[in-house]
Amino acid sequence: MIEFEKVSFSYGQRPILNDLSFSVQENERVAILGGSGDGKTTILKLIVGLLRPDSGRIRIDGEEINKKTEEELREVRIKFSMVFQEGALFDSLSVKENVAFPLREYTHMTEEEIDQKVRELLRRVGLEEAIHQMPEELSGGMHRRVAIMRSVAAFEPRMFLYDEPTTGLDPVSADVICRLILDLSQKGSGFIIVTHKMFDAFRLARRFMFLKGGKILFDGNREELQRSTIPEIRTFLRELSIQGNG
Amino acid sequence: MKYRVKEGLQHLQDFYRLSFQGLMGGVRQPFYFKDWIEQMDYAGSGSLFIVVLISLFIGMALSLQLSAELSRLGLKMYTGKVVGISIIREIGPVLTALIFAGRVGSGIASELGSMVLGHQVDTLRVFGVDPIKKLVTPRVWSAILMLPVLTIIGDTVSLFGAYYIAVFVSHQSGTFFWSSIRDILIYENVLAGSIKPFIFGFLIACISCYMGLSTKGGAIGLRRTTTRAVVLSFIVIIVADFILTRVLLYLLGFTV
Repeated sequence: MIEFEKVSFSYGQRPILNDLSFSVQENERVAILGGSGDGKTTILKLIVGLLRPDSGRIRIDGEEINKKTEEELREVRIKFSMVFQEGALFDSLSVKENVAFPLREYTHMTEEEIDQKVRELLRRVGLEEAIHQMPEELSGGMHRRVAIMRSVAAFEPRMFLYDEPTTGLDPVSADVICRLILDLSQKGSGFIIVTHKMFDAFRLARRFMFLKGGKILFDGNREELQRSTIPEIRTFLRELSIQGNG
Repeated sequence: MKYRVKEGLQHLQDFYRLSFQGLMGGVRQPFYFKDWIEQMDYAGSGSLFIVVLISLFIGMALSLQLSAELSRLGLKMYTGKVVGISIIREIGPVLTALIFAGRVGSGIASELGSMVLGHQVDTLRVFGVDPIKKLVTPRVWSAILMLPVLTIIGDTVSLFGAYYIAVFVSHQSGTFFWSSIRDILIYENVLAGSIKPFIFGFLIACISCYMGLSTKGGAIGLRRTTTRAVVLSFIVIIVADFILTRVLLYLLGFTV
């Protein structure tokens, strides 16, 4: 479904990705690992056309998206559900209005139907009580649950893209988010999760990619990752053993 | 150096594009009327108190200064005329625009900046919503529509302030003051003062939106873009005022 071919990208004069090539199938569960500033989030933004590569090709369902206009990219973007770091809820809108936002944009539902749908979605994540609250009144975990529900409100995405969904959360909230992610992928939709939390990555993903210096240092399954002798990966794995012992 | 020039030109091109698209969004669907109303409320009624307060005191100070100076020349009765022309043609539009840039411009830049940093603008794009139509167009049009209204209110309040000083402090004739004001409310003066707020409003909103949407680098970046939006708006207002004054005086047949 997603294909990167020799993709390079830089922010101004700072190179981020360098000749990156990989492909991901629709039903795969992929974790992109790496340190801060190594381009993990950039990959997600390139997939949905929020950023354009300096060189190389990105194909979604075999179709090159590099030169598509914003209008044409709309068709590409509805194939994905993207949840940004910390949820990115609109802070001028209530929880209800946030979840209703895509419903108003994409559907012709009546106010009553929207209200019903929003309540149903929030009930799934135990947040129906918070329907009239503003984002500033929510905890980090609640923020992300609302954001995930908002991303699936209007349409069934073929693939989920999560940008550090559990970063900054306590273990209980992180567990709730992980269960929600797994629950949403039950219907066969795959996901790409960008994280530096190995514990959550191991719990969620089947395939692991490790980024360093704009290149993929590692691409393989859990067993291969655990056997890896790459020093950066060993450092990440150490966090796992600390959590395991703890 | 070459990179800096290229980057500068890119910024200029992006600014022109955003300004044009922001303006044209007002005549192309979809229209986000709720956002228009919210922005008009924020820019208009939200700025009313500060505009009224500052205009009142500026009108009174101007009247005091001119009364003192003109009475030394034995021309005190012309206070109303000079104050009226100064306020309607020059001080009113510029002062209101500066207040507007300080309050509304900084608000726009910081709000959009924090939306960029919090990925809310990216979220809009992921949902297929054009951020220019949703965020820029309502702000640009609310500034274009509200700044002239605020200017008219500010001018009126300034004139009342000037009247109070002229009549109750400088002991001039109230009837003569108002008849002087009526004399200067001619087509040329009103036109010269009323075109400026539309253009200032457009410039303030475009600069603030552009600065806000190009925010990078966390809290420091947000502080930088908000400051830049206000400072640049101030400079552009003053420079544009000079150019507009020169052009309008020429077009309206005034001799300098």
